[in-house]
Amino acid sequence: MDQTAAAAAQSTQSTKRKRFAPYRQNISGYLFLVPAAVLFILFLWVPIVKGLIFSFYHIDFVNGDTFVGFDNYRTVFHDPEIGTAVKNTLYYMLLCLLIGFWVPILFAIAISEIKRFQGVFRVAAYLPNVIPVVVLYGLWRWIYDPVGPINALLGKLGADQILFMTDTRWSMLSLVIMETWQQFGSGMLIYLAAVLSIPKDWYEAAEIDGAGIWARVRHITLPSIKNLVMLMLILQLIATSQGYQSQLAMLDGGPLNATLTYGLKIVKYAFTRLEYGVASAMGVLMFLVLGVLAIIQFRMSNREGD
Amino acid sequence: MRAERAARGIGKARAVERGILSAHDYRRPSTMAVMVVMAVVILFMVFTMLYPIGVTFTNSLKTVVEVNSFPPKFLPAGLEWGNYKEGWHYMDLPLFLKNTLLLFGGNLLVTMFVLGLAAFTLSKLRLPHRKLIYFFFLMTLFIPPSTYIVPNFVNLKDLHLLNTFWAFWLPAGASAFNLLLLKSFFDAISDEIFEASRIDGASNWYAFSRIALPLSIPIVSTLAIFIFSAAWNDWFWPSLVMHGDPKYPLATAIYKKVIQATGLKQNVKFAILSMVALPPIVVFLLFQRFILRGLHLGGVKG
Repeated sequence: MDQTAAAAAQSTQSTKRKRFAPYRQNISGYLFLVPAAVLFILFLWVPIVKGLIFSFYHIDFVNGDTFVGFDNYRTVFHDPEIGTAVKNTLYYMLLCLLIGFWVPILFAIAISEIKRFQGVFRVAAYLPNVIPVVVLYGLWRWIYDPVGPINALLGKLGADQILFMTDTRWSMLSLVIMETWQQFGSGMLIYLAAVLSIPKDWYEAAEIDGAGIWARVRHITLPSIKNLVMLMLILQLIATSQGYQSQLAMLDGGPLNATLTYGLKIVKYAFTRLEYGVASAMGVLMFLVLGVLAIIQFRMSNREGD
Repeated sequence: MRAERAARGIGKARAVERGILSAHDYRRPSTMAVMVVMAVVILFMVFTMLYPIGVTFTNSLKTVVEVNSFPPKFLPAGLEWGNYKEGWHYMDLPLFLKNTLLLFGGNLLVTMFVLGLAAFTLSKLRLPHRKLIYFFFLMTLFIPPSTYIVPNFVNLKDLHLLNTFWAFWLPAGASAFNLLLLKSFFDAISDEIFEASRIDGASNWYAFSRIALPLSIPIVSTLAIFIFSAAWNDWFWPSLVMHGDPKYPLATAIYKKVIQATGLKQNVKFAILSMVALPPIVVFLLFQRFILRGLHLGGVKG
């Protein structure tokens, strides 16, 4: 009797030990994860959760926070500038697509066909990425100046002067051109690598079957980089929907709110009006919209990774 | 496989191999015409890339009258090196440079030790539930940073980190993207080295610090490029978190004192901008082969 009980006790003990054994062996492994976990919680999860909470509070650094229910959201929806900001953001995203998105693809395909000096083109295209953005702000203000080089050229051609910065029809477009100029190189390098990795015998086979140059590009090159193009599209939409830095630095949202984007509006609510609650509510609303895009991106990048 | 092929494509010029066009195509005059148009467009692209950069330097050597004259000329009449001296005295560039380098160094160290350790653990130690833990880290990628920029700032204030370098160093260890990069790098290293070291009695810490870290030089250089360009570029966030000159990094200082300045002479402004733009350009041109390859290792950055 005693023996069987002892044996049973021992066996439960041993299964217990077995169940916990992997954890005990890996105690140092779990310890290794602690610093990263602490930092992720402290600097990502806490702010994210706090943002949700703040959106229901009036934040006051001096007198303490007070619960205000949905007041912050009401403020957002009643602010007439919010509509302008959403419209400007969509306009900015559209311009970035129309002007910025296809340029790197086109140049990647073209440069992949150039046999000589390819390295030089790559370096030249990437160079603007290397220059700090604050330098670009100073530089492009001069380039866009009413008496700057572009207007000098336009004057020589007999065209009217363009007020790139102060004309509301031009201001957003001018920023998009500047950003395209700066960022196009890194996108092009990514596409170029993809285009160069397409097996060359596919073109050979297509040519033997009588496919012209355009048919080869359309039926081999473009389909081969389709997943990458889609991924870059989603990444660009996510990035441009949050854009505010060049709008802030170059024009501070002006002229007449023509470059006031949603992201810039958040920044202004928070850091000029000190309405942290309203700004947090705007962040939550933005998250709801962008969350959908981010999920699509995740599924796409999984497909791209195989 | 695909990436490898691409990396090879980046690495060396392929003169003999055909591309979309074959030797046969080149013989047709219509193709040649298209090629010429394409070459012109590419040369125009190169010109538009290089002109603004070149003009930054030439403007910095002009006199005030010259730089404000219309229409602007590309080359200066004389070389006004005095602009650089004036710019150097206008602001304490070495101080701001030191701050930027402090941010860069601290961020890189934290990334390698905190995220490197976590990535190594998730990749090489077969912990139970490691997938779940990895998911906990990666989930933060879904949340766009500008949606929590405001609570992030308030959070730093609550932690009493405002106006300290820790406000940058510590959050550097909370980057899901860099964790992803490091983990996929460790995933590609063979497990056998680590198993052999374990049989020889090496501890997990030994395996990380003496085997994994020394093997990760390529990924360190990729991360160093990303982290450096972030530290060198970011002006807005430091302008909120840091409270004044002694702590501002270079980009913020340039924004506050040069871009927003009204009284600064245009040519001196360009001299300062040139001094800030020159170091990264020189580093890039010297190491462009490694940098472009390192960027490729990083793949698509979100």
